[in-house]
Formats: sequence, structure tokens, C-alpha cells
Amino acid sequence: MISPVSYIDTSPNTLRADFKDQFRITIAASYASDHNLERARARLALLGDPDAVQALTAQAQRMLGSGESFNIIQEVASLATDLQTGVASIVSTPTNSPLPTQGIVSQTASIPVTLTLSPDTNIETPTAELASPTVIFDTPTQRPTKTPIPTAGVPFQLISQDQVCNPNLTDGLMQISILDNHRHQMPGIEIIITWSGGENHLFTGYKPDIGDGYADYVMLPGVIYTVRVAQPGAPIPNLSAPACPDSNGQTYTGGIKLTFQQP
Amino acid sequence: MPRWLAPIVLIIVGIALGLFYGWIIDPVKFVDTTPASLRVDYRSDYVLMVAESYHADQNIELAVRRLAIFGSASPASLAADALQEGRQSNYSEDDISLLQALTRAMQAYQPVSPLAEITPEGGTP
Repeated sequence: MISPVSYIDTSPNTLRADFKDQFRITIAASYASDHNLERARARLALLGDPDAVQALTAQAQRMLGSGESFNIIQEVASLATDLQTGVASIVSTPTNSPLPTQGIVSQTASIPVTLTLSPDTNIETPTAELASPTVIFDTPTQRPTKTPIPTAGVPFQLISQDQVCNPNLTDGLMQISILDNHRHQMPGIEIIITWSGGENHLFTGYKPDIGDGYADYVMLPGVIYTVRVAQPGAPIPNLSAPACPDSNGQTYTGGIKLTFQQP
Repeated sequence: MPRWLAPIVLIIVGIALGLFYGWIIDPVKFVDTTPASLRVDYRSDYVLMVAESYHADQNIELAVRRLAIFGSASPASLAADALQEGRQSNYSEDDISLLQALTRAMQAYQPVSPLAEITPEGGTP
């Protein structure tokens, strides 16, 4: 009452969760203006998230669900994608201003990316390429490797479309996987699903136990859908939930699996 | 040894053990802090981020809202403080320019009342 404790000189990793969200939004907005990936990575490290990419993609999903500005969501998702690939969308000259260095939780962004599929998805056409080895990005000063920079504006192409009849899965489940040109799963990629009188937007990466480039959607029987990867991509029309036979000869609503890759 | 000395020694030892536990073994962990309590260099870097995004989109309302997380301090004073900190911390010329631009914009900023947008129909009463 007389002289309560007042906190001073705290660091960003102690911030309340909603303030951390605001910080991530501002970091993403700053990154969108200068595309200084290393600086954005170092700033995110100050927040103390165990996995900055996961934190960003989860936040983008929450913002999408709460109807936040789409431009802001796009910035957050784009930063997550670029952190995942380790390459800025547009290369820029870093500035010289020093970031706060004392008491930083971690200045290195070690981002283990495990590319695996959950065993209960029972994808009919599993590919060995999707279970890629672990890729770890070590330090913020690491120079880009021989990995080619994805060409801006190159549309994602549908490389496989499969019907999935698995009674253990949710009826009408549309499973989508997004890969880059090296068959690495890409989080934070926007997918637009449209149907007569409706539209929905998804982002990959919110089910990391299945895959960082994975997203899914539950289709209604009898509805025709069109799917498009937004960065950019040709629309895939005439998609619907198939009717699958069960062991008793009756039918149930099956699903489909789509895999897109950037050439 | 005097009888009064033992309790004093025990008190001192107890205090020392308590401090050792509270400072070394299980120190206080600060959680759920607010941006207003951030160290000045962290605050300045956040203001710099706002300046960078403002430079790109020139959305002054958005910049003001982003600075509002620091509480009751005015956007102009926040930007000016960050600019001063940036000069002291040897920020790059580009970053100093961005902070200067944001400071000028915040000093000139006048919030628009929603009522001001309502124009009466017809002539003046």
C-alpha cells in the first residue's frame, strides 16, 4: 500500500502474452518494410519463444479466427515462412543499429524443423520426401547456402490429388500439404477455399505434429469446392467429398488429399 | 559467549540463508509485465520498429495505436525519447532518420474526433 513494488528494466521475454502478440505483429510489420530477416529473427528471440516460427503461425491462425486485419495477418504469416526457409523474400542491406544485447535470452535462433507425418493420418500415398531429415538453422549471421531463392510470383502447382477412404478420419476431411521446390514443408502459406456462396482462408503450420506445411478443412457432402494457394496458385476446381464404402457395404463420406509444390 | 549473542547470530544466519535461497536457488521470475516497464533500449527498439513500418505505410493512426501499448505516455514523447536513446546508442543514420520522421509525425499528429466528421446538411444555422 505505502510503497508497492514497481517493476523496471524488464525484458521482452517477461511480457504478458497479449503484449508479446503485439510485439510479434510490430516485428512482422517492420520486417515487411525492410525484409531484414536476421534483425527480425534477433528481435523475435528476445521474446523467448521456444519456437518463433510456431509462435508466429499460431498467432496468425488466432488472428484469422478473430477477424483481424488481413494485411497484418499476411505480414505475420510471411515472416513465419521466411524464417522457416531462412531466406528473406526480398534481400536488403542490414542496418548498423545495435540491438539490445544485455540480458538477451538468446541471440541465436535454433529452429529445429522436423518434417514428419502423424501416424494416424493414414495418407494413402505417403511419400518418403515428406519425412525429410531435420534441418537446423544455427546462428543469425549464417549466410544463405546454395539453396536457391524461391522465385517470387511462381505459382504453386498441384502435384498430387488423392481420394482418402479412412473411416478413422473425420468425414469429408480435405488434407493439404504445401512444399517448396526442395520438397520442404512450408508453414504460413495461405490457402483459399471457395464454394458457391462462401469462402474460407487457411494457413499451413498449425498442426506441426502432422507437418509444418499441413492444413486441413472439413468438406460438406454434396458441395463443390475450389482450392487455390494464394501466393499465387492456379485454382483447383470441382473438388468434393467422395463417397467411400465401408466394411458393411454402406457408404460414408471420405476425404481428399492435395499436395502442392512450388517449382 | 554471551547469551544474547546466539540469537543474533541465528537471526543473521537465517537472513543469509533466506537471501541465498531467494537470490540464488529460486530467484523471483517476473511474468506478465507491461511494455511500460521495459528497459529503455528495448522500448527504443520497439519504437524503431514502429518507425520502420510507418515509413513504409505512412499510416499514422496505426503507428499511434502501436505506441499506445506503453500506456499513458504521449506518442510524441515516446518517439522523442527513442530518438534520444538512439543517438546515445549510436543507431545507424538510417534508423535515426526513421525515428526523426516518426517524431515529427507524432508531434504534428492531431487525433480526429469521430464527431468532427459529421457535417451538418444545409447552410449554417
